Amino acid sequence: MIWALRKELLLQWKTRTQFLAVFVFGATSLLLFSFAVGPNSEALRLYSAGFLWLGLLLSSTLTLAESYHAEMENRALEGLLLLPSDPRALYYGKAVANWLQLALLGIGLVPVMVVLYDAGTTDLLRLLAIILLGTAGLSAPGTLYAAMTSQARAKQTLLPLLLFPLIVPALLASVKATSLVILGDPMQQLPSWISLLAAFDAIYWSLCGLLFGRVVED
Amino acid sequence: MKTTAPAILLAIGAYFGFVVAVAQFHGMTAFALGLPSGAIATLAATCGVAGAIWFLFANDQVESPRPAQLLIGLALLCLGFGSYYGLFVAPPEQYMGEVQRIMYVHVPTAWNALLAMTLAFVCAVIFLFNGDYKWDSRMEGSIETGVVLAFLLCCQGAIWAKPTWGVWWDWDPRLTTTAVLLFAFLGILALRKFVEDPAKRAIWSAVSTIIAYVDVPIVYFSVRWWNSLHQQQSSPGTVSKQFWLPLRLNAFGILFLMVAFIMLRARIASLRLKHEMAPPLPEIAELGEAV
Amino acid sequence: MNPGTLSGGWNFVMAAYGVTFSVLFIYGVSIVSRLRQESKNDE
Repeated sequence: MIWALRKELLLQWKTRTQFLAVFVFGATSLLLFSFAVGPNSEALRLYSAGFLWLGLLLSSTLTLAESYHAEMENRALEGLLLLPSDPRALYYGKAVANWLQLALLGIGLVPVMVVLYDAGTTDLLRLLAIILLGTAGLSAPGTLYAAMTSQARAKQTLLPLLLFPLIVPALLASVKATSLVILGDPMQQLPSWISLLAAFDAIYWSLCGLLFGRVVED
Repeated sequence: MKTTAPAILLAIGAYFGFVVAVAQFHGMTAFALGLPSGAIATLAATCGVAGAIWFLFANDQVESPRPAQLLIGLALLCLGFGSYYGLFVAPPEQYMGEVQRIMYVHVPTAWNALLAMTLAFVCAVIFLFNGDYKWDSRMEGSIETGVVLAFLLCCQGAIWAKPTWGVWWDWDPRLTTTAVLLFAFLGILALRKFVEDPAKRAIWSAVSTIIAYVDVPIVYFSVRWWNSLHQQQSSPGTVSKQFWLPLRLNAFGILFLMVAFIMLRARIASLRLKHEMAPPLPEIAELGEAV
Repeated sequence: MNPGTLSGGWNFVMAAYGVTFSVLFIYGVSIVSRLRQESKNDE
């Protein structure tokens, strides 16, 4: 698994301009969301967590769809599968790499959110934990679905079509938890949302790893 | 014959489901064989659902349209009587009034939609284990029928929500979960459309079905927590016998209809599959001549 | 009648039954026609 992760990280480092482009896309969508609400700073602050996660979700389809680009060229995936190693290692390597990239993207979008929506918080540690857990929930099924859709026709449409309904619980929990961190948590609801996220992650990280071998086999 | 055993189960389910319910409705409790009504409902539901599914799996690969016609006839009978009772005979409910009558189609649709999705999940798991393509065809049939039922369920839910809560859409966990499920399974149908290779299509859609089905309880609980500040909706309280009869009749009606649809749809899928898997030699020869 | 009872609403009831049966009918017809077509292709 370590070599798979190294390969992915190396690949991502080589395409870092693309990461920058995705980041700019995310920031642009955050800017656009504020036009949907209008210059009402109170409402913007209220919905900031939702906007952050929607921006992240939209950008994630770009990174996930791109993540199999290298494998699809010159049928490299088949070559990788010929190696005497478990396809699961390939999956977890890719999923962890996608996770790190998405988490980095999320962390990068936070200052944009603070500036645009005046939605700051001093509890950075919790915010970081939520971003890590939430992006883990996006990357596990996302990596699996990207493996399928990157080989299908109409891949740009299929990936969000399959992924978006699935990650509703993760999105819901992340948005709720983030907004509790930003707006305050008088009723101590945060732990239950974080445990829901953790449960979602645990289920999908194990289930998708189990099923990935069947998806790429020929 | 393969169809005898499921037919017996179906008959037991039908006896307890309709005959007893009709008899009770008209005050002839002797037909219930002294069983309490909870036991009757459970027995009828178990025998009916098991018999219907068994019947489905025994008959979906046969060429003759006879079994499906039989089921559709039964379904029309049940739905006809059930809707007649639900619309005109059963009394209006204490709080909901006439609107309560929507329940007699709404709840059976919900049960059967969930059953169709469960069937799809079971077929997906079996396909991944044994790789027999008839399970892929059955899965395709179950998913498509489940999507139709889930779509119906959302429409009925909206029509129900308008007079009771004053809005078309209420973020009730059940309604919301149905909508999420509808879109998740629509995505799988789209995936099937966009993948030409039958082997890849079957495996990928089975994997997606498993993943989407596992999501259902998580969506349900997350929406319930998320929505906990809203009022919990009132359930129809104690359901008396008069409400049970149309509910049960319609539930069996939609069950039979669903099984017949899955049967025919699975047949379509397996015919298509046969077409795709067949060696396309003649076409290639024609193409060669044309070139 | 109970004072809290919703009165009327027959149009909603009819709409729900109408939607249900028309969707089921249309789906049934579409299945049968697709099956006919596939059986024809089969021969």
